[in-house]
Amino acid sequence: MSDQSAVVGTVTEVFPDWFSPDSRPGYAGYIVPSERMREAAGYLKNRKHFDMLTSVTSADYFPEDRIEMVYHFRRSTGGEPLRIKCFLSRVESQIDSLVDVFPGAELQEREVWDLMGVRFTGHPDLRRILTWEGFAGHPLRKDWKEPFFEDEIKPYKSRWPEGKFIRAEEKNPLGDNLCFPPGFDPESWVPDKDEILYKSMTRVAKAGEDGMDSDTIIVNLGPQHPSTHGVFRMVARLDGETVVDLKPVMGYLHRNHEKIGERNTFLGNMPFTDRLDYICSMSNNFAYALAVEKLLNIAPPERAEYIRVIMAELTRIVNHLVANGFLMNDLGAFFTPVLYSLEEREFILDFFEAASGSRMMCNYYRFGGVVRDLDENMMSMLKAILERLPRKMDELEKYLIGSEIVRIRSEGVGILTPEAAIANSATGPLLRASGVPYDLRRADPYSIYDRFDFDVCVRYHGDIYDRFMLRIDEIRQSIRILKQAVRDMPSGPVLTGKPQYQVRVPAGEAYGRVEGPKGELGFYLVSNGKTNPARYHVRAPTFINLTSLAGMSRGNKVADVVTILGSIDIVLGEVDR
Amino acid sequence: MVIDSAMIWEWVIKSVAILIFCTAGFAYTTLYERKVLARMQVRWGPNRAGPRGILQPVADGIKLIFKEELIPAKADKLIFVIAPVITVIPALIITGVVPWGPDITIGGRTIHLYLANINVAVLYIMSITSISVYGITLAGWSSNNKYATLGGLRSTAQMISYELALGLAFVGPILLAGSMSLQDIVAAQAKSVPFILLQPLGAVIYMIAVIAEVNRAPFDMPEAEQELTAGYHTEYSGMKFALFFMAEYIKMIAVSTIGATLFLGGYLGPFLNVAPWLGPVYLIGKVAILLYGLIWLRATLPRIRYDRLMAFGWKVLFPLALLNVVLTAAGITLFGGK
Repeated sequence: MSDQSAVVGTVTEVFPDWFSPDSRPGYAGYIVPSERMREAAGYLKNRKHFDMLTSVTSADYFPEDRIEMVYHFRRSTGGEPLRIKCFLSRVESQIDSLVDVFPGAELQEREVWDLMGVRFTGHPDLRRILTWEGFAGHPLRKDWKEPFFEDEIKPYKSRWPEGKFIRAEEKNPLGDNLCFPPGFDPESWVPDKDEILYKSMTRVAKAGEDGMDSDTIIVNLGPQHPSTHGVFRMVARLDGETVVDLKPVMGYLHRNHEKIGERNTFLGNMPFTDRLDYICSMSNNFAYALAVEKLLNIAPPERAEYIRVIMAELTRIVNHLVANGFLMNDLGAFFTPVLYSLEEREFILDFFEAASGSRMMCNYYRFGGVVRDLDENMMSMLKAILERLPRKMDELEKYLIGSEIVRIRSEGVGILTPEAAIANSATGPLLRASGVPYDLRRADPYSIYDRFDFDVCVRYHGDIYDRFMLRIDEIRQSIRILKQAVRDMPSGPVLTGKPQYQVRVPAGEAYGRVEGPKGELGFYLVSNGKTNPARYHVRAPTFINLTSLAGMSRGNKVADVVTILGSIDIVLGEVDR
Repeated sequence: MVIDSAMIWEWVIKSVAILIFCTAGFAYTTLYERKVLARMQVRWGPNRAGPRGILQPVADGIKLIFKEELIPAKADKLIFVIAPVITVIPALIITGVVPWGPDITIGGRTIHLYLANINVAVLYIMSITSISVYGITLAGWSSNNKYATLGGLRSTAQMISYELALGLAFVGPILLAGSMSLQDIVAAQAKSVPFILLQPLGAVIYMIAVIAEVNRAPFDMPEAEQELTAGYHTEYSGMKFALFFMAEYIKMIAVSTIGATLFLGGYLGPFLNVAPWLGPVYLIGKVAILLYGLIWLRATLPRIRYDRLMAFGWKVLFPLALLNVVLTAAGITLFGGK
């Protein structure tokens, strides 16, 4: 089943004639003139019920004067995504912002501006988001070269074939290898950007009401802060202890994953995806393998499908255990719930280690299967986990759900309405806790999820408590799926074809996505027939879920903000990429 | 009372003994806490320095002494330096009025196992504990740091709302004993039963209020790690930080000692008339039990949010404490006190 027929097959609606189908071989979706994109988005949202803008990205086709904006729209009722493209000139590179139609585009459009240099007219806050303001150029453009530039693709000639170790950076004396935008002097630079950021935030004057002139203060929570789960920064404007406005600032862990991914070979990217969300590397592998398999047009054998599902569900359990444990920590429970969660996680990590050779950076999936088979020993390990986990979940629930303080602090705090969740392109537990039963495993099934009997968990209040409970529910459903998978697993090969290091990927594009533990994890790949992807985009779920943070935090206390952030469950490796 | 040189020596020795007890107690309370927390969290806790980790506090102390002490450039330097001292001194002197055991006789000389028997001991405790909040607030203010300021402000508000309930919790034992002196209160318990049996509500209110008083979880608002990084002592390092840390633990010991004296019968226990030296042992045992309770709470409970804490203090704890006083007074009038 090729990607093209899949998308065109579902979308049989009649669109106006300015939606022209993308008929290039290997490509799918519709092309819309760039000046009509905003209109097209409104049309899709209001008339065709494509109410979620899951992904906004772009691809540079350098020798030609063309940047393609690629939008993926979804229906919150399920179904496959609709891909809409706009062709922009590389010189002009300007398009209308979709933020007023889909607020979820806000951070994604900033990312596209930062990395690709596409200017969005009408965007409320178009600043760089992942790189810093002294960064020269837009790195995802194909003609952008870093200071240490050696080669377009890996493996670099300087380290190949017999281990020569003269790196390009060693030839560059320090000082000559930095580049700044024209007119930028790092010595005299003062970070005035922060002042602009502070000024952009809502200011509420409270003078007169009680005869006192009170002012608000700006508090930077992070980047070095115990509860931001990494180097994440929230600029909060506080009135006393109440949050008036809040802006997330990210990019402190930015390493331009996508640019590096475009230099790597297709298989070389597999271990690299582990580093995105380092807690659930298996599910990152899964999404990437699905995307490349769409390009290759191959399918894994039966047994491999089962193993993949087992690994993905175990990853979900691991992630939810960690997320809930650290959420309790954010509530101020001094490490006890975390350590009990981590104790359970250890058993699963042991299983991962037995299967893949690594506990966290698993690098286990391959195009058309998985790398190693599971043997009897590992299956008995898995059965022991499935025996133990439900009991432990009962225990966890008993101790945490009954706690008065947990309930007082999490119920009714950080509410995200279903409308806002859909508009902000939230996915994963954040969306389902808001009462939208949208789970890709059911909404748009991939792999063999249509064979299993499980429920899409949903909770209706959209507060921290519901997100917490939803994760516990999902762990139980994952255990259900795991039990069925272990029961039904056939024997046979685990890889289609023979293992190969250099896969030949035909030209085309593909969007592979899974319901990752944190939300929809998607990989948008463009291949031009060479050994490395021409475009490698990661639709990072937590990055996009952060769009909702400011709205959920306003009006709450500063203590709630860290718990709201904890309930979104971010991993900075994925947010900053 | 005749004040001779022997008496002065007695005071000096007793003062030094109390100071040593407090500081050594502080060191080993940290170890005790870490061990208990570790066992509650399915891990081992410190076990590297010395047998079973027994030298861990020594290692910690040496580390803290040799740490660089930073003073922020824009801090108010004098207050910044004085604040930890203001916090730690009250903590050290609270226990001066607590009796350690019955009188013992050494070489024909009767020695009272307390430093001072003042007839307003309870008032003394109340006033001394109130002073340490100045240290915290000044530390928060002088650091010129937003987290520290928020921590300091929280601490002030929290102390005010909990001190009332704390004061009213003291009233129960005072009424029952008919005296404010801790010696008299212990003596009254020797005649009847430990006051926790007569004052269960008072004892619970006392314990809740002192948790807020010493900034322990779940009421550790002023230093809420998850929100305010470290609250009022964010900018402190080295020994100045150690002083804050010390003040917190010594206050834990102090309030546990006072709680044991007021509600658990202090140094009282069996065979005391045979072996009076058992008094301090009993007291330390009771203190260890109360400390265990404080640690247990830290291991199990998440932090209450600041505004809920205030609401709880004013709307629940304070009325309950008042009710307790009224009930106690009525009971004494009806059934006869003392």
